[in-house]
Amino acid sequence: MELDQILALSMFLSFILLLFTGFPVAWILGGLAVVFSAISIFISANYDVNVFIIESWAETSLVVERIWDIMNNWVLVALPMFVFMGLMLDRSGMAEQLMSNLVKLFGRVRGGYAITVALIGLLLAASTGIIGASVTLLTLLALPPMLEQRYSKELACGTICAVGTLGILIPPSIMLVLMADRLSLPAGDLFLGALLPGILLGVLFILYILVISYLKPELAPLPENAEPVTLKVVVLALIAVLPPALLILAVLGSIFMGIATPTEASGVGAFGAALLALFKGRLNFRMLKDVSIETTKTTAFIFAIFVGATAYSLVLRGLGGDELVASGLKSLPFGPDGVVIAILCVVFILGFFLDWVEITLIVLPLVAPVVVELGFDLVWFTVVFAVCLQTSFLTPPVGFALFYLKGVAPPEIRIGHVYRGVVPFIILQLVGLMITYLWKDLVLWLPSVAYG
Amino acid sequence: MNPSVDPTPSEGSIHFSHIVHHTTLPSNIISLKLDGFIRRLGEIISWVWLPLMLVIIFNVTMRYAFGQGRIELEEIQWHFYSIGFIFGLSYCYQSDSHVRIDILHDRLSLKLQTWIELLGIFFFLLPFIALVIIYATPFVYDAYKINEVSQAPGGLPYRWLIKSVLLIGFILLAIAAISRLLRCTSLLFGLPKPIRQG
Amino acid sequence: AEKVRWRVPVAFASDLPGLGDPITYVADSLMKASGGDIELRVSEPGKLVPPFEITDAVKNNKVPAGYTWIGYDQGKIPASPLFAAVPFGMEPWEYTAWWYESGGRQLGEEVYGKQNVHPILCSIIGPETAGWFRNPINVLDDLKGLKIRFAGIGGRVIQQVGASVTMLPGGEIFQALEKGAIDATEFSMPAIDQKLGFDKIVKYNYFPGWHQAFTASYLLVNKDEWGKLSEANKTMIDMACTAAVARSTAKGEAIQGGVIKTLQEKGVTASKLPEPILRELQKVTQQVMAEEASKDADFKKVMESQKAFMETYKIWKGLAYLPRDF
Ligand code: NA
Ligand code: NA
Repeated sequence: MELDQILALSMFLSFILLLFTGFPVAWILGGLAVVFSAISIFISANYDVNVFIIESWAETSLVVERIWDIMNNWVLVALPMFVFMGLMLDRSGMAEQLMSNLVKLFGRVRGGYAITVALIGLLLAASTGIIGASVTLLTLLALPPMLEQRYSKELACGTICAVGTLGILIPPSIMLVLMADRLSLPAGDLFLGALLPGILLGVLFILYILVISYLKPELAPLPENAEPVTLKVVVLALIAVLPPALLILAVLGSIFMGIATPTEASGVGAFGAALLALFKGRLNFRMLKDVSIETTKTTAFIFAIFVGATAYSLVLRGLGGDELVASGLKSLPFGPDGVVIAILCVVFILGFFLDWVEITLIVLPLVAPVVVELGFDLVWFTVVFAVCLQTSFLTPPVGFALFYLKGVAPPEIRIGHVYRGVVPFIILQLVGLMITYLWKDLVLWLPSVAYG
Repeated sequence: MNPSVDPTPSEGSIHFSHIVHHTTLPSNIISLKLDGFIRRLGEIISWVWLPLMLVIIFNVTMRYAFGQGRIELEEIQWHFYSIGFIFGLSYCYQSDSHVRIDILHDRLSLKLQTWIELLGIFFFLLPFIALVIIYATPFVYDAYKINEVSQAPGGLPYRWLIKSVLLIGFILLAIAAISRLLRCTSLLFGLPKPIRQG
Repeated sequence: AEKVRWRVPVAFASDLPGLGDPITYVADSLMKASGGDIELRVSEPGKLVPPFEITDAVKNNKVPAGYTWIGYDQGKIPASPLFAAVPFGMEPWEYTAWWYESGGRQLGEEVYGKQNVHPILCSIIGPETAGWFRNPINVLDDLKGLKIRFAGIGGRVIQQVGASVTMLPGGEIFQALEKGAIDATEFSMPAIDQKLGFDKIVKYNYFPGWHQAFTASYLLVNKDEWGKLSEANKTMIDMACTAAVARSTAKGEAIQGGVIKTLQEKGVTASKLPEPILRELQKVTQQVMAEEASKDADFKKVMESQKAFMETYKIWKGLAYLPRDF
């Protein structure tokens, strides 16, 4: 092995190992950039090196220009605005209202609560896509009533985690915005491409809930005191669902129709959510301040990882990480499909440990050129990649959805319930991934129709 | 915002502080001052999302209702956004909202956790901040010296102002990091003299 | 022999014909001609350095060299667009006459030398299209209120006539156009624009390239690094870039006609802007250039050198060339 390959590989392994120290992920990334620059500069100053490695701090200092590039990126402006909108919908009680009304509609179906959770999860997914917000919200709203109905803890937790993560895939999605930015792809193509696979997953989840609660009624008992579904109940439910649903439609619709840019839609969505809160009488100074502060923290923890990752990937590239991955993938003894499947397996496994942000920022730009060279459609591949990544939120040990749920669940929920609960949903995710892989039109049809 | 952990969140209010794992470090007289400063600044900066939202709304209105676009108002959007997230970095660290992988971390003793934090700040975070500050300074000064403006005709002037946000943001992050470093030394060595909270 | 191992960040994807691929030609030629002693490793846009920051990175020796269209330096070095593309400016071969034979190179080295950068002309392609529009442009007023991506001095001109001008790197234009964030754009020659997919969204493609009669890109080398090179290596790099200038012009001229033909078959309307609009734009161009010249001494100096050359060249051009409309 050449020196640059050894350095690049040890930089990657150091990251995986150091993650488990529990030090903030962002600063492990940034710190490793400095440490490995120092090592590389030391080696090149003292030994005769005949490969490309980092030879001076000036090269590492490009991190300043790269952070500046994140700062003046007009596409990413949408991210804090979507966060703001999600928090606003949550704090104004609008999301809660959605839940209590939809349960009335589905309360008498076997597994009705779980299906309600799935539907709200889909709506939430289509509105923002901030997993932390979706999962905590669904947990607080739906877990206590489900437990009260003596639903199995596993089914309840699994459902919430699984549908809570759909938001990262179903547009608008910050993950897709970020991927589009990194790959210079139209975000619109990715949004449209990911829509059907996202819905497919939602449908798979709902089918699973229906089937399992039919086969094993003890997992999802029917409510004893459910109101019959009368016209009045339906009308009341619809009225309650209407305002947030309209907002969501307006935001989504304007992006789909090409009327508004994601930034414009995100700003309007945030403003609309604030207006709805105002009409509900929930908007006050304290609440506005809370939402703003939480927006800052959420935005900052995501961007901290961007900042760390841009430094990390700069140095990893400086040490020949690109060439290492490219040559590694190309030398795999498989055909093109084999290489892509190998990439997906790696991403799936990385997803056990890493967050989507790191994988998107570090792995995706490394593998995308290889996949394009093999003759695959980049939009299709990116969407498949996104579905695979979405699964990483569910896979232990580092599944953020699991942490978010455990963080706000009642104490009788043990981490074991959560881990066991997500297993069938992880399998469903893999089924969805396989369908998306084999049936390319599921991804490519909508974008092709949109451009006629 | 109270950074301490409240295990029973009230209904309808979800704070990330309940979810993200916290190692409870003692404070000391210096860290209390530094943390207070960073927190107050973070709270003030958090208001930036409102003008950002309003500028977007204004632009959307001008564009769709009056068919006019103004580049300086487009540019001010990313100015606001970058102020929010760059200044937010220090606030986020102060309130310990950064993502940590706590699978193993949780099982370690408080003392060991604190050692990890101390070493991490010393060997990873502070060197990284130093790198950025050292090289961001000429980056900002250059922009000032050549009076850099937006490359878009009609774009915003005084590029050094928004570029200096990067520098200031990392200085603030350094303050937050030093404060936390001192909290670690308070626990491990009793220096500065720890003040237990709650 | 002395080894040169440079990472070279570029502003354009290296597969863009004439605009991006000259640098791969240069890297390959140097590698072979030097027997492996000069190794330029091309780093695609944004992988190392954000496209608009390349000059700064070279200036501060964060990278030894970079390849870019220096009109992007407009906000930092006001004279830079004159070396990159000038509205109603010289033809491609005319620009090489000015650059190589009539003092252009000295001026370029002087202006960029102040930034500690040594510029080497490394690609010239012909006029760009005058832009891609959603709706037809028949009178000057049709440009008013348009939100348009437009680079260089031409951007200032079109802003003067009432458009709202933004600058986006090549990779972001499609998305902006597709999402309606901009109504129109120029980027480069038809073969390149087609690669970026503008024709999928907007159907009116206008000519002539009044805003960019030539498009020049440079290999920018940090002056200290350049000074360290042996005469042999300096000569070899100069030779490779000079060859790349010839090859890029050839490539650019060779493929456009065919591309326009296929675009037309796909329903794109390719036509010339009406003469009154061009006359008006030329008038505004002169105002804008005069205004820039009054603000920046370097701009004035370079502009006057180019003007003087064009005046003299016109005599030859008018007499010697066939009016090729038959
Ligand atoms: Na979403
Ligand atoms: Na995971």
